[in-house]
Amino acid sequence: MQPMDSDHDPLFRYTFSVYSHDQVYYDDAYAGDDDGVDVDEATDDSNVLINRANSTSEKSYLILKEDDLLRRQEEDITKVFSVLSITRDSACMILLRYNWSVSNVHEAWFEDEAKVRALVGLLEVDPAVKFPKSGDQIVDCGICFESISKRDTATCGCDHIFCKTCWKAYVCTSIDDGPGCLTLRCPEPSCAAAVGPDMVNVLAPDNKKKRYARFLLSSYIESNKKIKWCPGPGCDYAVEFDDDFEAGNYDVSCLCKYTFCWKCMEDAHRPLGCETVAKWVLKNTTEAENTNWILAYTKPCPKCKRSIEKNHGCMHMTCRPPCGYEFCWLCLGPYLGHDGRACNRYTNSQKGGELPEAEQQRELAKKAIQRYTHYYERWAANEKSRKQALSDMNKIENTDLKTLSTNYCQPETQLQFILDAWLQIVECRRVLKWTYAYGYYIPKKEEAKKSFFEYVQGEAESGLERLHLCAEKELQSYITNEESEATEDNFNNFRVKLAGLTSVTRSYFENLVRALENGLSEVDDHGSDPGGSSTKVRGRARGGESSSLGGGDGAKRVRMLMRLGMDDGVGGESSGGDYLDDDDDYED
Amino acid sequence: MVDFSRVQKELQECNRDINVSGISVNPKSDNLTNLIGTIPGPTGTPYEGGTFKIDIDLPDGYPFEPPKMKFATKVWHPNISSQSGAICLDILKDQWSPALTLKTALLSIQALLSAPEPDDPQDAVVAQQYLKDYQTFASTARYWTESFAKTSSLGVEEKVQKLVEMGFPEALVRSTLEVVGGDENMALEKLCSG
Repeated sequence: MQPMDSDHDPLFRYTFSVYSHDQVYYDDAYAGDDDGVDVDEATDDSNVLINRANSTSEKSYLILKEDDLLRRQEEDITKVFSVLSITRDSACMILLRYNWSVSNVHEAWFEDEAKVRALVGLLEVDPAVKFPKSGDQIVDCGICFESISKRDTATCGCDHIFCKTCWKAYVCTSIDDGPGCLTLRCPEPSCAAAVGPDMVNVLAPDNKKKRYARFLLSSYIESNKKIKWCPGPGCDYAVEFDDDFEAGNYDVSCLCKYTFCWKCMEDAHRPLGCETVAKWVLKNTTEAENTNWILAYTKPCPKCKRSIEKNHGCMHMTCRPPCGYEFCWLCLGPYLGHDGRACNRYTNSQKGGELPEAEQQRELAKKAIQRYTHYYERWAANEKSRKQALSDMNKIENTDLKTLSTNYCQPETQLQFILDAWLQIVECRRVLKWTYAYGYYIPKKEEAKKSFFEYVQGEAESGLERLHLCAEKELQSYITNEESEATEDNFNNFRVKLAGLTSVTRSYFENLVRALENGLSEVDDHGSDPGGSSTKVRGRARGGESSSLGGGDGAKRVRMLMRLGMDDGVGGESSGGDYLDDDDDYED
Repeated sequence: MVDFSRVQKELQECNRDINVSGISVNPKSDNLTNLIGTIPGPTGTPYEGGTFKIDIDLPDGYPFEPPKMKFATKVWHPNISSQSGAICLDILKDQWSPALTLKTALLSIQALLSAPEPDDPQDAVVAQQYLKDYQTFASTARYWTESFAKTSSLGVEEKVQKLVEMGFPEALVRSTLEVVGGDENMALEKLCSG
């Protein structure tokens, strides 16, 4: 956590005031009554508000559990078999062939039933003939060539008889092989009769039946353009997304806590667009290995800075022409006058020599790698931190909440604010991660935008650190309950502080995301706006801070900061619309 | 586990009409999972007169999984690797069905020899040659059949020696033999006329 110096940092002062405002809000609500009931309300209230704030972005999708999916699938199957007067299994097979479109099935069936039957491999036979119940007649199985009595055989309703043992192996092999089992046909190569769910249910053992049903459900989902499986590891939920939703926000947060972009199926990546993310991910896969390898296994030539890998030989290194510098691999000092024992002594770090001008081009290439590495390292570190936060949160949810609940005699539902804080940390880490890819792609010539971006990113980072520290370290002292300060009163203060920090950080990040999605358009506008002075005035008037700032840049900051920090989250009223309205104000 | 009782039946069945089909399957050793199949080169093709050996490995899931087959005899064919003998044939992959047998699979391979599918090649070099210069393809295939698939006839070296003894230069003899697909008499005719 960075020490905060509010005198020199307008944003901090601003957010701080928001924070204090929050505190007042909570304090008021809390101080209103001591009997805990109102505390409940205050906390619940904030939860509701949080939910409301989130709900604007959640309306566009629906998380579907397996039961929901099965119910929908069953409804479609029922629609088909009740209209077509066929068995449920036949309906299922036809739907499979027609990508689960009920209307297409109806249309095709009533146009030419025979054609549909041929296409699917559905014979018009009594399902009972598939498994002869009686008959001592001896027949030859077409697979094992053994002679067996007819009652031990089965068919698809065609003339090709196989024993049940071979049928079982045939069906199981096919199910093991993958979703192709859904279109399994009679083993006789020339026969197109289909093997449907009815036969699988009789012939396959339970575990294979389950797998088959899973494939059936998957095919249902994959043919539905509005539903996709959550790509989270081990997650069984599916997400239905409303196509008409056109706000450009495809981020989905599954019940398994995995967040992803519904459009490109990458990790959720607001404020970046799918294209930029694809570019970045591709760059990472092609360059990450190289970059990491270079970092780990090479040293730069002390003179020309080119990366050198030493794969064999003695410590006497000679850099490749045109450099030709001779140096010691261990101490990177010049080899001239190095007697082989000169560098065994431990010394403080060496000084880097000055670069010869002749190596400019190499230097540029190296800088490009360094630049990429800078962003990549931070991108990767935030991702790592996000994963860690996720697992910390799970630990807290599963064990620590119980401890706290006992220590402070509060039901776990009242401790929701802790999980809210952690959820926010996870989300912020995610956003922060993508801001590094964002920063990497800011064009070099847009200096103003870049420095402003870096400023708000830095603020976001330190704001998040503040929250993370509070949720991690301070919480720990209440969990261990060792320090004398871990009293109930202090815990309630902690609640207020953490909830406040959560809400401030949330609104800061929400606004940050919106601003980045707009491409930090304010910077563009005012960078080229000669009449920007009026803005400055407004900025001053609104922010009331500009006396400590000199020049237009400072005014811009105040304006932006106001936007980033202004919505206090507790109100939960902030929306993109308001934001845009503000924008108009400023641009007039 | 391989269904050995079925494999036994298959071997009996297959070798019963060996005189008609010319196709045989025999165990490589005592182990019924490694077998050797033989097919005669189809008449009217560059493979005519040759006898092609095919290595057969039965996977544990046989007959519910396809047998693994590859040519043990070198063969020049667009759908068969000239290096490894690997065969590109659908029924040996996704189109396999347990109702098929080793014999039907070998029959399919024999049919593949008669009707190559250069658009779905295993050996790109051969396929290119087949499409662009069929004559050269046919004579190379014949030469390979002659050289590798005919155990009874004279080996290439013996033919070369015989023709060289007649007074033709060795390099010319070799190239001529290759052009006519290894046929000794045709080569002699060509050498005399040219």
